[in-house]
Amino acid sequence: MAIHTVLCIEDDRFIGEMYVRSLKKAGYDVDWVVDGNDGLITARNKDYDVILLDVMLPERRGTDILEALRGKEDLIPHSRVIVLTNFEQDDESRIAMQQHADAYLIKAEITPKKLISVIQQLDGMTPEPQV
Amino acid sequence: MPKQATHFWTIFVNRTLALVLVSQIVIAIGVGVALVSLEIITIDSKMLWYVVGGLFLVNSIASSLIFVYVIRPTRDLLAAIIHVSGEQPALKLPDLNAKKYERTGFSDALQTIYGLASKKDAASDIATTNSPVVAASAITDALDNAICGFVTLDHKRAITYANKPAPVRIDTSGMQTLELLFNDSDSLNSWLNACEEHSVHAEHTWTRIPNRLPDQEDRRFFDVIASYQKGATAETVLTLIDRTSLYIVDEENLDFIAFAAHELRGPITVIRGYLDVLGDELEPVFQDDQQELFRRLVVSSNRLSGYINNILNTSRYDRRHLKVHLVEDSVAGVYDMISDDMKLRASSQNRLLSVELPTNLPTIAVDRTSMSEVFGNLIDNAIKYSNEGGVINVTAAVNGDSVDIMVVDHGIGMPESVVSNLFQKFYRSHRSRETVAGTGIGLYISKAIVESHGGTISVRSQDGLGSTFIVSLPIYATVADKLKAGDGNNEGIMNEGKGWIKNHSMYRG
Repeated sequence: MAIHTVLCIEDDRFIGEMYVRSLKKAGYDVDWVVDGNDGLITARNKDYDVILLDVMLPERRGTDILEALRGKEDLIPHSRVIVLTNFEQDDESRIAMQQHADAYLIKAEITPKKLISVIQQLDGMTPEPQV
Repeated sequence: MPKQATHFWTIFVNRTLALVLVSQIVIAIGVGVALVSLEIITIDSKMLWYVVGGLFLVNSIASSLIFVYVIRPTRDLLAAIIHVSGEQPALKLPDLNAKKYERTGFSDALQTIYGLASKKDAASDIATTNSPVVAASAITDALDNAICGFVTLDHKRAITYANKPAPVRIDTSGMQTLELLFNDSDSLNSWLNACEEHSVHAEHTWTRIPNRLPDQEDRRFFDVIASYQKGATAETVLTLIDRTSLYIVDEENLDFIAFAAHELRGPITVIRGYLDVLGDELEPVFQDDQQELFRRLVVSSNRLSGYINNILNTSRYDRRHLKVHLVEDSVAGVYDMISDDMKLRASSQNRLLSVELPTNLPTIAVDRTSMSEVFGNLIDNAIKYSNEGGVINVTAAVNGDSVDIMVVDHGIGMPESVVSNLFQKFYRSHRSRETVAGTGIGLYISKAIVESHGGTISVRSQDGLGSTFIVSLPIYATVADKLKAGDGNNEGIMNEGKGWIKNHSMYRG
């Protein structure tokens, strides 16, 4: 399964724009939403290959979104979820998120290039960049 | 001296026995007089003495037996009352569950008296404290109202007593356990292990031991004083002083540091991200020294990120919340995490970084991310404290059950007096304060990380000639069993099966 579509749920405008810009350059089709409610709705309405999920979001926290998407039943079986946060979570919440996520990364340590390489690792193949 | 209830029993028994004896003598004499006066037996007949003597003997024995039988309930009741009153018991305590008592219903009476012990009111406590022996219940009450926690442990380390203020958790099966979060490297258990091996009597003090994790309710901090006496019934006695009000200030400061560090991470994410992206995009158009200046931006933002991690980890460590997850990995694998960054840092500051890691080194038990931060801190220091054009050597070798990783610089070195303080928090040598920027927590947190791996960190230095920092980490094979046994949340850096990836290990709350 090649990864093409990415949903970025990120409220920080600079960070969001940075990811979107780099991912688009790398050939991915990216949608970007800034609040938690929109994030949950968008993730349920369309099958994304990858969902980039921030934790500290307005309206609805990333933890709640993940719980809603993958808590009781997996509503997004075809998606990979990468949790991206700068927030220091307590152990229980972090472990709970890790159980439902495919990756859990600290944003400050991840540059767009590294993020793309993580997505490629999840994919196992490199998508063709757009010309 | 006031009379005690115990004395009553002796007097009562003596008087009753005397009474029995006297009454038997009177009966025997009365019978003798009656026999003589009725002329059944003559006064000078031997028969009279046989009859009177025999009667006295038989009666005495019979009445003694009846006496013993009759006084038993009184004796038992008295013994129970004496026990409840808190006097030192001179009489054997009756067994509540004895069959004979259960049959007759007497055990109910005893039960009622024993029950009084727990209901004793304050008035009777005051009354009994006047007696020379203080009631055990009075001491228990006093300890429960004390400010300090007291806990006694037997030789199996099971809790035999804990007063109310002591932080003790009781599970559903009634098992009591201490609710204290010691640091792994300096825990009560490790101290007791050492005591059992080497000591007859020992004492130890821990400061600032929390009972709960941060963010949990009713989190308190204790100073813990332990005394150990081999062979004693209460082999270990713990005194716990609640110092929450004193330490909470520090806690809040650390919370603030953690919070501030997180706020800093946002802008750093953007700076590092765009530097990474722009580096590639702008490369063709860089002119003159712009390439080099750009590299300095990258190096500086990476270092800033490293310092923030140091601060976060220190805050975490001081809150007893630093965790590492050890897995099998190679020294080269750990170094790879920071290899590019270190190369860039060394070259931008005109240092020569030579890394020679033998390919045949055994694997180590390591948390890749946190240990790479240690290596980064040591190399960063070596760069700071060496001279323009200086060489920094990173090597590794097997040393017994460990792998030693050495970071050697040929820079300014340190005198003895500095070396002994080096791993303290916020310590910065006089010279480094003047000439080198830094936070003074790099080595402090590095030591904490290495020790949480079960390793050691040491330094050799000569003033003016340079320093060698040595990190010793256990070979994986020597600790594999232990790790597997104590596992549960040992997560790999990358779990292929579930395919989840993480780039951190220690900033977890």
